[in-house]
Amino acid sequence: MALLEVKNLTVEFGSEDKPFRAVDSVSYSVDRGEVLGIVGESGSGKSVSSLAVMGLIDFPGRVTADALTFDGQDLLRMPSKRRRQITGKDIAMIFQDPMSALNPCFTVEAQIMEALKVHEGGNKKQRRERTLDLLDQVGIPDPKSRMTAYPHQLSGGMSQRIVIAMAIACNPRLLIADEPTTALDVTIQAQIIDLLLKLQEDSDMGLLLITHDLALVSEAANRIQVMYAGQLFESGPADSIFAAPRHPYTQALLEALPERSEGHDRLRTIPGVVPGQYDRPAGCLLAPRCRYANESCVNARPEVSDFNGRDVRCFYPLNDQGQPTGLPTGETV
Amino acid sequence: MSENFTPSAVPASNAAEAIEPVAAPPSPLRETWDYFKKNRGAYAGLIIIAIIMFLAITAQWIAPYDPIIQDRSAFLKPPAWMEGGSWEYLLGTDAVGRDILSRLIHGAQLSVSIGLAVVAISMASGIFLGMLAGYFRGWIEVSIMRMMDIMLALPSLIMAMAIVAILGPGLENAMLAIAIVQLPHYVRLTRASVVSELNKEYVIASQVAGAGHIRQMFVNILPNCMAPLIVQGTLGISSAILDAAALGFLGLGAQPPLPEWGTMLAEAREFVGSAWWVITFPGLCILVTVLAFNLMGDGLRDALDPKMKR
Amino acid sequence: MLSFLLRRLGDVIPTFFGVTILVFLMVHLIPSDPIEMLAGERSVEPERYAELQKQYGFDKPLVVQYLNYLGGVLQGDLGKSYVTKRPVIEEFAVLFPATVELSLMGILFAISIGLPLGVIAAMKRGKWLDHLTMSLSLTGYSMPIFWWALLLIMFFSTTLGWTPVSGRLSVMYFFEPVTGFMLIDSLLSGQEGAFSSALSHLILPTIVLGTIPMAVIARMTRSSMLEVLGEEYIRVARAKGLAPMRVIMVHALRNALIPVITVIGLQVGVLFAGAILTETIFAWPGIGKWIVEALNRRDYPTIQGGILMIAFVVMAVNLFVDLMYGVINPRIRHKR
Repeated sequence: MALLEVKNLTVEFGSEDKPFRAVDSVSYSVDRGEVLGIVGESGSGKSVSSLAVMGLIDFPGRVTADALTFDGQDLLRMPSKRRRQITGKDIAMIFQDPMSALNPCFTVEAQIMEALKVHEGGNKKQRRERTLDLLDQVGIPDPKSRMTAYPHQLSGGMSQRIVIAMAIACNPRLLIADEPTTALDVTIQAQIIDLLLKLQEDSDMGLLLITHDLALVSEAANRIQVMYAGQLFESGPADSIFAAPRHPYTQALLEALPERSEGHDRLRTIPGVVPGQYDRPAGCLLAPRCRYANESCVNARPEVSDFNGRDVRCFYPLNDQGQPTGLPTGETV
Repeated sequence: MSENFTPSAVPASNAAEAIEPVAAPPSPLRETWDYFKKNRGAYAGLIIIAIIMFLAITAQWIAPYDPIIQDRSAFLKPPAWMEGGSWEYLLGTDAVGRDILSRLIHGAQLSVSIGLAVVAISMASGIFLGMLAGYFRGWIEVSIMRMMDIMLALPSLIMAMAIVAILGPGLENAMLAIAIVQLPHYVRLTRASVVSELNKEYVIASQVAGAGHIRQMFVNILPNCMAPLIVQGTLGISSAILDAAALGFLGLGAQPPLPEWGTMLAEAREFVGSAWWVITFPGLCILVTVLAFNLMGDGLRDALDPKMKR
Repeated sequence: MLSFLLRRLGDVIPTFFGVTILVFLMVHLIPSDPIEMLAGERSVEPERYAELQKQYGFDKPLVVQYLNYLGGVLQGDLGKSYVTKRPVIEEFAVLFPATVELSLMGILFAISIGLPLGVIAAMKRGKWLDHLTMSLSLTGYSMPIFWWALLLIMFFSTTLGWTPVSGRLSVMYFFEPVTGFMLIDSLLSGQEGAFSSALSHLILPTIVLGTIPMAVIARMTRSSMLEVLGEEYIRVARAKGLAPMRVIMVHALRNALIPVITVIGLQVGVLFAGAILTETIFAWPGIGKWIVEALNRRDYPTIQGGILMIAFVVMAVNLFVDLMYGVINPRIRHKR
């Protein structure tokens, strides 16, 4: 049984009759010891889906799912008190911007010890020792002196280490990292990812790595989900997705990577932006931006289907040569 | 900008344009009005102000009686719907037989003129001083702002009382005192916006183009500082009315028999145990008027604040 | 922290001297002659005029007069009342505790009602409870408190007879002031019923004086809470699995309080202005009523002294609040 099982998760905002689906029937699972990468542009719903797993979607947002289970326990239908016992203990989350993730009014020590107090109990001395351990574990030099520091006295990289220490304080079995390196300097990014992967390996956690950075997931993740406008577009093992993308969107994303643009004058781009609440196309959500789109793409929305062992949401999934298959005869690209 | 796959050169609106044509942006005034209208409280405030303004302007014609004429046969007559009241005096009469309704309507005239006059005087001189301070900086700024700090060190009503103590009681002096008391707010506000505008490109551009100081200050910079000043002015009207009524109540503002609402309350004080109407109505008028201006000021602030717009 | 204190003092001290100049000049700006005022008659004989002029120092140049005045002020000498011929500072010292007691009760009332109202409104943003709270608070903010006082007296004192109309204590009781705070002195006196008498005299003035600060605090708390609730660290706190109450009361409120405290500090001025009206209506023997009486009697030394002392207290409290701000906001405390 998977650690986290998400089946047809949907998150809606706005009025009942004209809702905006930020996340549209997304399914995935994470096993212990596994790293699942979720990739997508801004507005693709990847952060919202992870907030839904954490139970942090507030009214007026609505979360529905055929299944949202953690270790076999139904997260959606359990009492909120029980859910809070899981949140922050068994499932923990790291947020994008470490500088705003720490409460400016409290010391590092207080903020880490708070999570320990709620979930582990113990006395103050034990909690303080554990906090010192954690700071050491996340690679903070001279942890003792940092204990009583306030967030504004820390650098961005240091803050993110604190945030990570806070998240792993109660030995979570699943860690959700939402763009953990986006707000950091390039030089720090690799350090933080290495730290996360090391922690994940050491304690056999499941890690849900949410990012827009394909290069990053390619190195870190076992499996990859590509999301677009709240929908799952493609999923499969990391290496095979990189070797042979089946969805035109994945293909375009890969082509936009600088290292794949060698020999081209310019970096290749995907024209346009992710559709928002008011400009969702009637057919395939990618249709306005897809280089292969034809009339049926504009008129009808594809479902997720199996193609060569991968889940792909496309009428004309790509073959190993990167060419669409199943196009009506006579049409070429 | 956290997520960019690509240094995309394609305008973001391309995808949107395919779906629906982009409407022309509304004019700033129109936009402000649209936001203002959505705020029900502010809209209500505007309507109340319109009614009060109407009463104030037409007081001579619509008030049933002269506000200072005394009817010796009708002392402390209760309102019409009470026992002993008559429809002759809708809201009753005061201790010397004057019609309360007529006095209230004429009081609206006084209060509205006080509010407008005070804000006009105070805002004009405040903008001038603030502009000098913000534009020329240096010792001019230091001396003006230090003066304002001193004035702000005293609670407004106490400062106004001190000024009235020098000038002597009376409506005009009270208005002048309140205008002086409000001055620092406009000076500070103007100076702050002028200082922030001063470094903008358009100011430098017109300086290069040879605009003189006066033109720079009042033609180029001032219009861009008006939004917060308009809000402050609206709120200033309400506090001017409130302070004038307070001074009137303390006997330092408008003198009897002027039908100023605060002065009316002062005269009515002794009837606190016997004639509720002489106390209730003037105060209610003050409250409603002040509330209306505050509602409108709040609404204007939200409508003019770009941060609130989504 | 020390440099922060020094910087603030650097702002406050020149302002204080400015106020002394302003207050000093007041007497010289009056259209009527202060000597005539002193003598209490229109045309004073020349010899007596010169004598009085000399006695009060009016014959010296303005700068010398000011320096003399300032010297006196710095030694706590605010001159003598024209009316009672007693030192102004002594009269102030006797009356000040009554105003402090009233103001403290007023601000306590304002905080204990305004703060929860603001928090509730922020939590119920957009719901009817929010609209109700904010309408009430804007009404309170627009309230002419002298009318509000009369309304409350009309209802609770004359109609229901629940509270006394004026004063600090029923005439049945008498005891020497110890602290000047009636609530404490009445307890110290040991006289039965004295405390409840003092308390019942305080209720209406407290409500009247606290109304505007309450409204201001409620509005400020709400907007500050709303801003803080949208911060990422609130989400992080919730992601720790903390109870909603703890997230709001500890993580949000602590941060939201920072601007609210400043606003509470700024209410001192509002309280003094309000005290003038409140004390006049409730015949509360404090400095507000004292200054109004001095104004009506044209007792200039008292007016001058009263205004100067109020300015002094307001500035001192604001300075204190700024320091408190440093204590509660770590970002300021550590600024070098």
